[in-house]
Amino acid sequence: MTRALTWIGLVLFLLLILVPFWWIASMSFKTYEQIQFATSIYVPKPFTWENYTGLWTETRFPLWLRNSLVTALVVTLVTSVVASLGGYAVARLRFPGREMVASLILILYLIPPALLFIPLYRVLTELGATNHLAALFLAYPTFTVPFCTWLLIGFFKALPEELEEAALIDGAGRVTAFVRVLLPLAAPGLVASAIFAFTLSWNEFLYALVFIQDETLITVPVGLNLLIYGDVFHWGQLMAASVITTIPVVALYVFIHRWMAEGLVAGSVKG
Amino acid sequence: MSARTGWSLGARGRETGTALLFLLPLFVLVVGLIFYPFYRAIWLSLTDKLVGYPERFVGLRNYEYLAQDDAFQQVIWNSVVFTVVSVALKVVTGLAMALVLNNLIRARNFLRGLFLLPWITSTVIIALTWRWMFDSFPGRGFLNSFLLDLGLLSQPIAFMATPAGAMAAVVIANWWRAFPFFGVSFLAGMVSIPRELYEAAAVDGAGASRRFWHITLPGLKHVIIVTTLLSFILTINDFNIIYVMTRGGPGTATQVFATYSYQVAFGQLRWGRGVTISIFVVPILVVGIILISRYLLRDRR
Amino acid sequence: MSQRHVSRRTVLAGALGATAALSVPRMGFPAVKKGTALRMWILKTYVEPTNKAIEASAQRWAQKHGASVTVEYFTFEDMQTKYVAAIESKSTPDVGQLETGAPARFAGMGQLLDLSSFSKEIDSQAGKAPANVAPVTMLDGKVYSIPWYVMGAFWYVWRDVLDKAKVKMPSTFAEAKEVAQAVTRPKDNFYGMGQSWNRTADGYGVMQSLMYSYGVGWADKSGKYKSIKTKEMQAVMKWATDIYKDNLQPADTLTWTGSGNNENFIAKNVAQTSNGPSITFAMENAVAKATDAKDKKMKEEALANAVALPHLGGPDGRRMQAIAMSMGVFKGSKDPEAAMSLIAHLVSPEETVMVMKDSYGQFAPVLEKAKAASKDYFNKNENYRTFGRAAEWFAPTGWPGPVTAAAAEVQASNVLTDAPAKVIVDKWSVDQAIEWEDKKIKEIYDTLKG
Repeated sequence: MTRALTWIGLVLFLLLILVPFWWIASMSFKTYEQIQFATSIYVPKPFTWENYTGLWTETRFPLWLRNSLVTALVVTLVTSVVASLGGYAVARLRFPGREMVASLILILYLIPPALLFIPLYRVLTELGATNHLAALFLAYPTFTVPFCTWLLIGFFKALPEELEEAALIDGAGRVTAFVRVLLPLAAPGLVASAIFAFTLSWNEFLYALVFIQDETLITVPVGLNLLIYGDVFHWGQLMAASVITTIPVVALYVFIHRWMAEGLVAGSVKG
Repeated sequence: MSARTGWSLGARGRETGTALLFLLPLFVLVVGLIFYPFYRAIWLSLTDKLVGYPERFVGLRNYEYLAQDDAFQQVIWNSVVFTVVSVALKVVTGLAMALVLNNLIRARNFLRGLFLLPWITSTVIIALTWRWMFDSFPGRGFLNSFLLDLGLLSQPIAFMATPAGAMAAVVIANWWRAFPFFGVSFLAGMVSIPRELYEAAAVDGAGASRRFWHITLPGLKHVIIVTTLLSFILTINDFNIIYVMTRGGPGTATQVFATYSYQVAFGQLRWGRGVTISIFVVPILVVGIILISRYLLRDRR
Repeated sequence: MSQRHVSRRTVLAGALGATAALSVPRMGFPAVKKGTALRMWILKTYVEPTNKAIEASAQRWAQKHGASVTVEYFTFEDMQTKYVAAIESKSTPDVGQLETGAPARFAGMGQLLDLSSFSKEIDSQAGKAPANVAPVTMLDGKVYSIPWYVMGAFWYVWRDVLDKAKVKMPSTFAEAKEVAQAVTRPKDNFYGMGQSWNRTADGYGVMQSLMYSYGVGWADKSGKYKSIKTKEMQAVMKWATDIYKDNLQPADTLTWTGSGNNENFIAKNVAQTSNGPSITFAMENAVAKATDAKDKKMKEEALANAVALPHLGGPDGRRMQAIAMSMGVFKGSKDPEAAMSLIAHLVSPEETVMVMKDSYGQFAPVLEKAKAASKDYFNKNENYRTFGRAAEWFAPTGWPGPVTAAAAEVQASNVLTDAPAKVIVDKWSVDQAIEWEDKKIKEIYDTLKG
């Protein structure tokens, strides 16, 4: 009985999760006419690459892709450094107020962008960062760092202290212990944290929408929103863009999902 | 512990210096780009800032206005409904997903990765996809087409044309996106429930259902609470899905805090009022945070 | 409240004093220093060739003067956000294309250069704008932008459908409703009309056309708030909500995006809809992309049958709320003279006609000489002749008063389209909706003098 239910459940979940993706992909290969005039909706007929080529040659999509990539990489780097340093301090170092800092970090993640976007906009304007990718380099860590730090605290805590203690006994400083001993051990956690930062940055929309107006500097999510010309709707191109945008992230995950799931969980379950 | 040069693991406060060093980048980021804007948000909410004009202090006028604004009352209601329904669905589906994966030992890793696809996809793409799925134009709306082909419908349904329908649509998009996160968390929680409990129960003749209610669920209590609280806080502040799917419409049927704040600040150029809308969420935030802290940190010893 | 009034006047006074120093020399057009670099913002229209044509025109100016122009785009969607962002971050362009309400709004903020004397130069070079369009560019009697063209809205109908049902082409809103009743066939998924009260120009634009054609305005001739609780407004609200009954429109009409009505019209799901010339553009494109002779013939027939009628009229006249685009110079510009020279070049009859040729009819020039020069172009066919007349029926936001910041905010606040939505979706009564709408409008005017 459980067996049967499990299999039914599996099939249902697979359908639930995969059908929308198939829909996006299938739409990306349909012609404007087929989408507009609704012939044979399940299968692209004729099958065409014109949305992909159109996207690449007629829109600014390649630029948006570049912007998203650059932003995600810079933010991931910054986040990884700041989060691992901070996470280490809370996980390993003894100092007064340590527990409070830990709670604070989580709380910070929960401060919504929807609240900060207006004043942050003014602050960034005063710094002269608006309408440049720099605005995102500064704004994105405000949510990636708290989350990743919290994640890494959990991860670091779960690692045995003996190796570091051994290093310390041997005369190494804290910094050396951190870099030479802990970081290699914590590789899965670091990778998970980096991928989180990358994904959060890659998918972010509100800040990117508000802080950058130059069409050559916007990121992919904002660009997708823009592909709705208001009067002419290039659904096919939109879906092609969706496919292209999703592939890299999926590819990353195929290789690393195991670590990612563990990392995710280390934070919330193991506490 | 034997003597060593410099660092001592035992003495409190001796590592404060190092700790400060390690925490410095975090500190700078947090103060400069989170606390400071937060403080300015509060200040801004007490002004009548209109784009292009200098602001003037007006005290609580924005708050008073919003308290009696019927559109805002609708926004509060929408936000609560959106969040509560969505989170409830996520919990239930997450449990189901965890149960299914728990029972499949082979390919579990692969499937777990596969099921996380919605969670890693851009919400803008998800919003557009689901908008399309619900489209009432028979040729494009997947659901309508499918149901029409099956003969279950004779006319397409305009799913998103009614307030309830539009709300259901955005809830579904939000739920679809996030339930894998719940599933994976619950799965991890399930895996860490000691096998002996199940074995003992099986010996006692307890069926699958009883094992679930009396062992699994209690064992997952902690994870469920933490994940639910987190999701509640994140969902009530959601902007992307609703903005891209319905822009808050039809009318104000799906307008929530974040989207209304955006409309007032950037459509009507009223920043004072726009920020105030978001600040209304702060009490909820505080309560949620206190609860989470209690639950999370309780086990940190 | 009076405090704000005073402070704005002070700002304006100061601004005027500053611009006096920068005013254009009386004779001839401003001289341009070699090597000047200007930034210009223009609207990205639905018709890509037009956008490119405007850029090309700007580059021709740049070539002629040894200067350079960087063209940046904004869309209908982010028009507000972009300018807002630029104003707050003090990164406004030198030259900005401004839609109907923008000159008043931005001038009120002291962002635009006073172009009163410059506009007189333009008058002699390119002709004047008609009396119904000129107010768009003015605030407190001063000119802040040079009007360039109107992007009209028209009433598209499928001629063959109407012929088959033996009904004549509608000229008023009332007639359009009758036509819809005569041709709607819900069983075949075909509907008499597709008019969405959404938050795009297709929604709030048509609502204003409806109101103004019935003689209803929320402001009086001087721009002050006026109550809309009148029986004319009742008739307006009734029309707006009656079309959602009796299966006259597709069920999801209210939730359409900006392209929803285009798509539904082109796919022949609806018999009538209001739109700019972009529907014709889309259909002309379809003909060009036809795959074989049979397909081409089909698409040509469709193009011929999609008739763009003058926008509907009402008991008080035929008024069409539309987008009037004008060009303004921002105060932050480092070289206002060059900016003015660029504008003069763009709105000159020769350049305007060149741009217009790539506009597929969506660009109806308003300055006299340019209008005269483009007569041949618009003589192409029936639809184009109608497109060319757009300026005739133009009524700005805030009719019958001038375009003020408050009027612009009324449009931006979505109250115009939310009101009928409340009747249609939330089942309010027409009176309740009008009462609510009136209250909201009054609030805006109370907190934003002028």
